[in-house]
Amino acid sequence: MALKRSGTKYDIFTKIALVLVVAIVFFLIILPLLNILIYSTQPTGSAIITNAFSDVVIRQILWNTMKLGLTVAFLGTLLGFIMAYTQARVEFRGKKVLHIVNLVPIISPPFAFATAVIVLFGRSGIITRGIFDWRPTLYGYTGLVLVLTLSFFPIAYMNLLGMLRSLDPALDEAGSSLGASKWRIFRTVTLPLLIPGFAGSFLLLFIESIADLANPLIIGGNYTVLASRAYMAINGDYDIPMAAGYSFLLLLPALLVFLVQRYWAQRKSVVSVTGKPSGRPTVVTSRLARFFLLSVTFLLTSLIVLVYATVVLGAFVKIIGVENSFTLEHFRYLLGGFANAAVRATTFLALMATPLAGIFGMLIAWLVIRKVRRGSEALDFLGMLGIAVPGTVIGIGYAITYNDPVKIGGVTVFPQVAGGAAIFGGAIAIVMVYIIRSSPAGQRSGISLLQQIDPSIEEASASLGASGGRTFRLVTLPLISGAFLSGLMYAFAHSMTTLSPIIFLVTPDISILTQKILAEADQGRYGNVFALCCMLIVLIMVIGGLINLLVRRFQVSTDRPLVTGR
Amino acid sequence: MAKTTGKLELRALTKEFGNGSEKVVAVKELSLTINPGEFVTLLGPSGCGKTTALRMVAGFETPTSGQVLLDGEDLSALTPDRRPMGMVFQSYALFPHMTVFDNIAYGLKVKKVSTAQIKKEVGEILDSMNLAHLTNRAPNQLSGGQQQRVALARAMVVRPKVLLFDEPLSNLDAKLRAQMRIEIRSIQRRLGITSIFVTHDQDEAMSLSDRIVVMRNAVVEQSGTPEEIYRRPSSVFVADFIGRSNFLSVAEVKKGASRKVTVEASGVKLKVNAHPKALKSAHPHLLVRPESVSVKKSSSSSKSRKANEGVVKNVVFYGNHVEYSIDTPTQTIAAVVSDPVYDEIVPVGAVAKIDFDESRAWLLPSDSAVITSEE
Repeated sequence: MALKRSGTKYDIFTKIALVLVVAIVFFLIILPLLNILIYSTQPTGSAIITNAFSDVVIRQILWNTMKLGLTVAFLGTLLGFIMAYTQARVEFRGKKVLHIVNLVPIISPPFAFATAVIVLFGRSGIITRGIFDWRPTLYGYTGLVLVLTLSFFPIAYMNLLGMLRSLDPALDEAGSSLGASKWRIFRTVTLPLLIPGFAGSFLLLFIESIADLANPLIIGGNYTVLASRAYMAINGDYDIPMAAGYSFLLLLPALLVFLVQRYWAQRKSVVSVTGKPSGRPTVVTSRLARFFLLSVTFLLTSLIVLVYATVVLGAFVKIIGVENSFTLEHFRYLLGGFANAAVRATTFLALMATPLAGIFGMLIAWLVIRKVRRGSEALDFLGMLGIAVPGTVIGIGYAITYNDPVKIGGVTVFPQVAGGAAIFGGAIAIVMVYIIRSSPAGQRSGISLLQQIDPSIEEASASLGASGGRTFRLVTLPLISGAFLSGLMYAFAHSMTTLSPIIFLVTPDISILTQKILAEADQGRYGNVFALCCMLIVLIMVIGGLINLLVRRFQVSTDRPLVTGR
Repeated sequence: MAKTTGKLELRALTKEFGNGSEKVVAVKELSLTINPGEFVTLLGPSGCGKTTALRMVAGFETPTSGQVLLDGEDLSALTPDRRPMGMVFQSYALFPHMTVFDNIAYGLKVKKVSTAQIKKEVGEILDSMNLAHLTNRAPNQLSGGQQQRVALARAMVVRPKVLLFDEPLSNLDAKLRAQMRIEIRSIQRRLGITSIFVTHDQDEAMSLSDRIVVMRNAVVEQSGTPEEIYRRPSSVFVADFIGRSNFLSVAEVKKGASRKVTVEASGVKLKVNAHPKALKSAHPHLLVRPESVSVKKSSSSSKSRKANEGVVKNVVFYGNHVEYSIDTPTQTIAAVVSDPVYDEIVPVGAVAKIDFDESRAWLLPSDSAVITSEE
């Protein structure tokens, strides 16, 4: 380095970790993205990009995507806020149960919602037709908005609940001691302080909904969005450059919004965390407000419960709503050979990816907060790319990149890991996708935890003679084991339920559960879809629970003094 | 146990943060030699660079220029874990996921000391610091004072050549602080470990140190024994930072016999000791500590008073001493009378006669700093 910088020099452990992280990020996400860019310059690809606004069809797809993203982001944030505010500030029975119900959609396979909503509210829906004799058309914009909002509002809920809880109750008390009414405090104190949370949630929901592929495929009907169009370019037109072109159109707004969201979150983060709240938060007592909040909450929660009831019941009856007799035939069919291999492969690959994703996320978090000085933001961003880039884009990028060995000047630097002829039948590419898609969650929780841990705890270890690697192992890791655990749980659940990138990577040798579900949903065999969803949920709960137990054994109580001094 | 190793030299140690127009010099050419077993305190207001200096010695900050030498060996290339130093942190930085025993044993385990030996050494230090009953407690089950002692034990058990203290007492209450001062000093004396102690508390500096280094705006203002710093400060800043002070403007300065200087302050001629630079200074100040001012009742009325008399503006009775502020025609004088006779205390509004103890006064060069005679 030409310029001397503050702090100590990098020790050898840090250097190795840095090189490793950069190499992993390069092969797992940068290279596939570069290939998307390269392919999108070929004629059929560049035609998509250059005609994006002049071609009526492409313009319509673009507009569809944006409209869907904006609607879902708005509705999801609003619902998430109402649920979070109710959870944080309204006293009522069954609060904890409600909290869990609100979080369930995060770990459930996306098809569960789409198919259950069709069964309940579709043209021949149990509720719409059965009760109201009404035959609405759900396929398209309406259905997508309904399903995506239900699937993604928990992101806004968690985000805003965290912020509401970290708001110092003394702020409310200060407001009321200055003579402000509760409504006025809500308007002038609570809402303004939550603005970064609203913005963050809105942008995250926007990214999630424009990136979603599974639901547009099942319930989108003629409402084509960029993700489903890119998928069709591969599976219908067999035109990779065209798929790359649509991917590029999808990638651009996704990355842009992601950057804006990060900037926003960082700039406002000071306001959101005002230290440990000391008092008790004020509770909503107004009858009108309580009635409103609890009604919305009750309706939404009932809806979620209804959807899951449909999924579970649907798995055990012949055709739900039509022939409601108990049967195990769906499970018999699935376990009679249709899904056995997929269950085994999916679980095995997700289990392979889980610890790797967990450690990778923690390593990046640690480097970003503690070690890297110049460029720590860039490193953080690189680590988050896996979640910022839509799964469809990643899947197409992988298919382009790893269906052949990666060569530089005729020398193979990375073997063929995707496609039927690849080693392990393409399993490696799937694990790679699992890792890069699920490590960002661990990275985020690791970063926020590390920011709260006094750096002098690690300095104390160094001053007692422990090397960088030893300090990381003996002090840092145990202290962030909570974040590590939640990172592992998330990585497993996310890997088990991810579809959009995987769809491009499955081979005759490796089949994945989510892709089986899609295939069955495509055929309209909803009984099998529900049974598969049930199996997936049970697998996630059982194995996730085991991971939890396993890690907890090694975890030590780090209750209080993490936040000390200064 | 007198030690011969542990001689620490800081050579022109400089630390700059940022670059270009945002560059801040945190420490500027700090040079200091600390003898084996010596206890040196870096004292100064917040932002003076004392903590940065300490962290450069520990290796947590890389100096922009300059060197740290231990027993003649340059430490620049060594990361903190390779330096034979122990550090006690302001926040204690105990490992929250380990017991007291494991916290203290940590450094020994890193050194690959045998389990039996670790048990013995940790046991000894726990006994000597009255911590034995807390062996298996977690840090969050300890009081502040206990945490502090564990942090100290953890740093010392590895027998470092140098102990570094980063404001370790600032999170304790006043009584515990005084007790820990005595404890730290006695252990440090017994083991003879070279120590650097960073603080902004003058009482801590005075009671602990063999030598005090007063820092201000990244540079050393004065270095000397506590007595020198208190009695013969080199600047108004140092005098003001250590203890309470009266700065009298002096009318006439004459160099007299036997190194003493004759000055006129508040209408009285005094023969006082002077800082060498004071004579060349345009407007020297006479430092008189409040306890060197004696106060007596005067029969003058507030109108007929003389130059060395003033009206009592405020009296505070503390039991073992009385504090006065007295308005003289030129300025307000602070005075402390210890072991007062109650009947002789001059009440507010009455006229008091002030006398300065000339043997304890000190003539100082003028200083650019704003002078505040009261803290």
